[in-house]
Parts: sequence; C-alpha cells; structure tokens
Amino acid sequence: MRGMSAEEHRHMSEHHHDIPIEEKEMNSWRKKMFLSWILVIPIAVLMLSDRLFGIKIFEENIMRIIILILAFPVIFIFGFRTIKQGINGLFTFYFNMDSLIALGTVIAYATGFLSIIGIVQDYSGVSAMIMAFFTTGKYVESIARGKAGQEIRKLLHLGAKKARILRGNQEIEVNISEVRIGDIIAVRPGEKIPTDGIVIKGESAVDESMISGESLPVDKKKGDTVIGATINQDGILYIKATKIGKDTFLSHIIKLVEEAQGTKVPIQKLADKITSIFVPAIIIVSVLTFFFWFYFTKDASRAIGIAISVLVIACPCALGLATPTALMVGSGIGAKNGILIRKGEAIQTMKEVRTIIFDKTGTITKGKPEVTDIISEIDEKDFLKIAGSLEQVSEHPISKAIVNEAIKKKIKLIGVKNFKVERGRGIKGNVKGKNVLIGNRKLMNNNKINYRKYENKIIKLEDEGKTAIIVSANRKVLGIIGVADDLKPDSVEAIRRLHQNRYRTVMITGDNEKTARAIALKAGIKEVIANVLPEDKEKKVIELQRRGMVAFVGDGINDAPALKQANVGIAMGTGTDIAIESGDIVLVKGNLTGVVQAINLSKATFRKIKQNLFWAFFYNIIAIPLALLGTLNPVVAEIAMATSSVTVVGNALLLRNKKI
Amino acid sequence: MKKLKLTIEGMHCASCAANIERAVKKVKGVKDVVVSLMTHKCFIEIENADEEEIKKAIKKVGYKIADIEEE
Repeated sequence: MRGMSAEEHRHMSEHHHDIPIEEKEMNSWRKKMFLSWILVIPIAVLMLSDRLFGIKIFEENIMRIIILILAFPVIFIFGFRTIKQGINGLFTFYFNMDSLIALGTVIAYATGFLSIIGIVQDYSGVSAMIMAFFTTGKYVESIARGKAGQEIRKLLHLGAKKARILRGNQEIEVNISEVRIGDIIAVRPGEKIPTDGIVIKGESAVDESMISGESLPVDKKKGDTVIGATINQDGILYIKATKIGKDTFLSHIIKLVEEAQGTKVPIQKLADKITSIFVPAIIIVSVLTFFFWFYFTKDASRAIGIAISVLVIACPCALGLATPTALMVGSGIGAKNGILIRKGEAIQTMKEVRTIIFDKTGTITKGKPEVTDIISEIDEKDFLKIAGSLEQVSEHPISKAIVNEAIKKKIKLIGVKNFKVERGRGIKGNVKGKNVLIGNRKLMNNNKINYRKYENKIIKLEDEGKTAIIVSANRKVLGIIGVADDLKPDSVEAIRRLHQNRYRTVMITGDNEKTARAIALKAGIKEVIANVLPEDKEKKVIELQRRGMVAFVGDGINDAPALKQANVGIAMGTGTDIAIESGDIVLVKGNLTGVVQAINLSKATFRKIKQNLFWAFFYNIIAIPLALLGTLNPVVAEIAMATSSVTVVGNALLLRNKKI
Repeated sequence: MKKLKLTIEGMHCASCAANIERAVKKVKGVKDVVVSLMTHKCFIEIENADEEEIKKAIKKVGYKIADIEEE
C-alpha cells in the first residue's frame, strides 16, 4: 500500500499543471469574486451611508468619480471575459447569456458619467454590485457543477499510472503508456491492475466495484480475465496485457459516459428553443420597457433602472442548466453502480415503457449451460466422443458445455470434416466417416430422422427446464444430452420487483416451448415466446410494440437488432461490443438487478429534469413581469438571477441522495 | 468520416453550447456536432472538412480550444 501512495504522489507532482477545466473555472470565478467584493464593499458603504443615513462622506460629484473609479476594474477587468463574450455575441449575432449581463452593467456604468452632467441618476455603483453578485453566483454554481460531475471525473482518474512489467527475470516499472499488448505485468496485493488482461499465474480476489458496482470481490485464477483499474486484493497476480490505451474496458466506459452527456433529452427541446430566442427577445423587451416607462413617467432614471433590471433578471441560465446538470448527476450515479446511460432519450422513454422483454440465455440465465443428463443406447464414452468431437468446432454455449463434459470425462476428441451450422437448429458434420447431426427436433425433422423412441425422455428433460440435444449418426439417433442453464442468482428477485411495479415481463428464446416455460416459471415470468430464431427476435419486438413501448434486455450479437428496435435497449455488458453499441443503457455487471436499478435511475433522473425545468420556467414567468413592473431593484434582480441557476444545479445534486 | 473530440474552455451557459454547435455546423464538411456544456466536450463528425476552419469558427464565437483528440 505504501508503494501505491508513493506512486500516486509522484503522479500528483508530475501532473500538477494539469488541473481539470472545472477546477480552473472554479478558481477563476473565486478570484474574480473576492477581488470584486474588495472594491464593491467600499462602494456599498459610500452609497448606503448617503441613501440610508444622508451622510455625505464626499461632495456629490467627487463621490460619483470615486465610485466610477472603484467600479471600473470590477466590470472591465474582473468582468472582462463576461463583457467581451457578451459584446462579441451582440455584434456577431451569436447572442449568449453574457450579452444581457454585459449590456446591463455597461449601461449602468455609463449612467455614472451621465449623472455628472446631471442627466440621470447614477447607477455605476449598482453596476459593480451586479457584477459582484454575478461572479458570486457563478462561483457557487461552478462548485455545484463540479460536484455534479464528480462521479464522472472519478472515472477519468481511475486508470493506473504505472505498471510493473516483466523483462526476462526482471520487473521494471514503466508508465502505463509504455505497456504493450502481450507484456506480462506483476500486480501485488493492494495495487491497481494496470490494464485489461488475462491471468497467467497466481490467484487472488479482485475488487471490481469501481467498474461494475459489484461490492463483493471476485476470485481470479489462471485463465480468468481481469479489468484494468480494478484492485488486486490479496495475492500476487501475473497478467498478460490483452488491451491497452483506448481499447480497454475503462476507456470504453469513459467514452460512453462522456458521449452520453452530449445526447439530448427530448423534453429539453422546448427549453432550448426558448433559450435560443430568449436573449434577443429580452433585449428588445428591455428597450421597449425603457421607452414605455420614460413616456409615461418622464423619469429617465427610473426607466433606465427598470430596463437594467429586466436585462439582468432575464438570463435563461437556469433553463439551460436544468437538463444537462440532472443528466450528468444521473449518469454519474449510474456509472458508479455499473449502469451506463448512453442516450439521454432513454431516460425519458423509460417512463412510458410498460413491457420488458428479456432474452433468456445469458440474460435471465447465466449463459453457461452444463450437461446434466446423458441418455444413450451406446457406450457413454463413445457417445460423448462423437458428440464432443463435432461440438468442439462450434462456438455455441451449448456446444461448449458438451465439449467440457467430454474433457471432464477425459475423452479424446477427434477431427471432423464438412462442419456446418444450421442456425437455431443445430450442427452437422462428418466424424470418423459417419454423418453426424446434433441439434433439436427441428433439425431432425428437417432431415427426416426418426427420434420417436426418445420423445418421452425429451419431454421429461424439457419439463425440468433443460434443453434436450439429439445426437444422430448416419440417420440413426444415438441418444440425447440434457443441458441446463441455471438462473442468475438475482433473477427471481429482480423479476418480482418488476412485477411489484406493474411491469409486464416477457421472455424470448430460441428454446422450445416446454424448456422455455420451465425456465420462465422458475424466474417468475408468465409470458414466453419460444422457438424464436435469432433473426426473428426483432420481429417479435415489433409485434409487442403494437401494445405500447417496450424495453428489450439482452446480450450477444444476435440481440443487437432487437436492442435497436426496442424503445429502450438495455444491453448486458459481457464485453460483446456490438450489443453494447446498440444498447441505450449498458449494464456493466450484467444482472437483472441492474435492470431494476436502471429503471429507477432513469425515472428519478427524468423527474429531476422535470422539476428543474418547472422551477426555471416558473422563475422566469414570475421574475420578468416583476422586473417589467418596476418592482425590482437591479441588484435584487441580479441576486434573484444568480439564485435561480444555483437552485437548479443544487436541485440536480439532490439526486445523489436517491437510492436506486 | 472522422470523429473529433474537442475540449473547450469558457463555456458556462447553455447558449454557449448552442452557439458553438451553430457555428461549427456552418463549416463545410461538418456532418454532426454535439456540445456538452457539462463536460466541456465537443464531438464533431467530419468528412473532408478543414479542421482549421472549425477551430476558427469556435474562436470567432469566443471560446478557447484546450485540447483536440481524433478518434
């Protein structure tokens, strides 16, 4: 552990110049805020002692000049970026929210000069106060925004900085960027695993919570894959690097989460539209307000004050921040729990979803089938030799189960010829000169092979939720193999919670009806669509969509079209990139509890967005008329404006207290 | 088709993000542009676009580019 902290310390000193933007902006606002107040406090004292107590510390015109001098740096030096940005916006017609503050403060400041020649009241002190409150608001807002992005930033800094790689018999420490694929890395207890790899020596428990949200450590031994940035707990592991740099699991997660921040939540559209015309509209309204008040009261000072109030109170900041801050906090909490929200739209759509379709294999079940029954009329070893030899060529999980069984029984497998996959049915090929077919009833029926003798046994296996695999050679059935794929440990509980929340659940699978029903019954799912060929899953989703919005939960390449077709696609993160690419939400841990959490998180985040938009609209609807009516002093208007943005960001932060 | 990821300094309001999107979209060859106010990132998809033009467009509306990454 001491090595770690030393390493991290070194990292800190190496990168101290590399301060994140959030922090840079926060520091800059803080500096501006303090400097502004140093000048604004004397201004306030001068102004208040005159207005409240009638004490004139200086002669009127001298006081005006002093205030003008004090206010100048506040507006034109500390507020330089804001003024420049705002004025730039005015001239290029790329209006932004600074345009309003810039106009308001510059006009107010200018009244200071005009007041000396006696035209209007002096608002130059007020302009400095507006800027001071503006920077204060921005500072508080930047702190809150920094908090909102905390979880996501943590991801960015999660990766290891150094790795100890083996060169010959020597361990040398190198920067992570120097690690190459194939390097052997030694990872001591307490250290971060530097990059994705495969264990080649050693055994240990690894804490993967930072990636998957799974709180229990995972045991790793030779042959297991490990993820970079997870922490090795108790043994030394030697791993071979399989992925580096941008290709690692962590890099993918970061990319997904970052890109998600740029996606739009549909509800935001109205706010965006309003924001885009808001600034020019307010400038026009403010000019009209001036003329209106001047015409009816003949009081230019009053008219200017009200026009300035309108300018500064009407910043649509809160409207603009409402959605992105909530989305950011929401996806941060998600990332922490292994739920990656890829599309902002999914958050909104999730609310409408009533039906959840689950793929069976690898989603509800572990996806690691095991052989449970072997029923054969020939010698079991010979039988497994034929079946295993053909299956070893196939990638299907069931094939792997059969091959594993053969290996377990120490059966030597032999080569095959003319291997062919019949998708959704089985496989065929030539083993030792025999034409072997292994698969389900469909395969046998298609090839007119009679399996009636085994039908009762097949039905019995299916009733137990097992898949019955028929093995035939030279058109004669040799026997059947029962394969079972256990439920994931949390599937039952997750389905129960979904039913509790009145979701309709459907299981979809390529298995036959009986096996599928038996598994569904175990999991607590009532509706089953069985015998679905991989390419037809998408069609079934379309059919179910006729009755409302659906979410599809699945993994694997076969599920990609169905994930895309569903209103919300939830991909189980087992590392299959295609499925992850087509999911709107990706579950790193890949269990059904994640589905429940993803739904809760989406709903909570969307509720927060709605709340934020409500408050932002509410603020503008109340505040602008108040300013128009001349009931708000410009400084009060600015305080209200700053408060509204801070409130919205603060409200988004409350989402972090939500249990999902 | 090429993807760029820019880190942008000086954005602090939604209209800033919208302005950058609007300005970059006008550059020839830009297929898609998405700006995230919260992460200070700007994702651009381009086909035969002049990257200098994009940089200029962003500077013109008043923002600083802190970093450019190609994907």
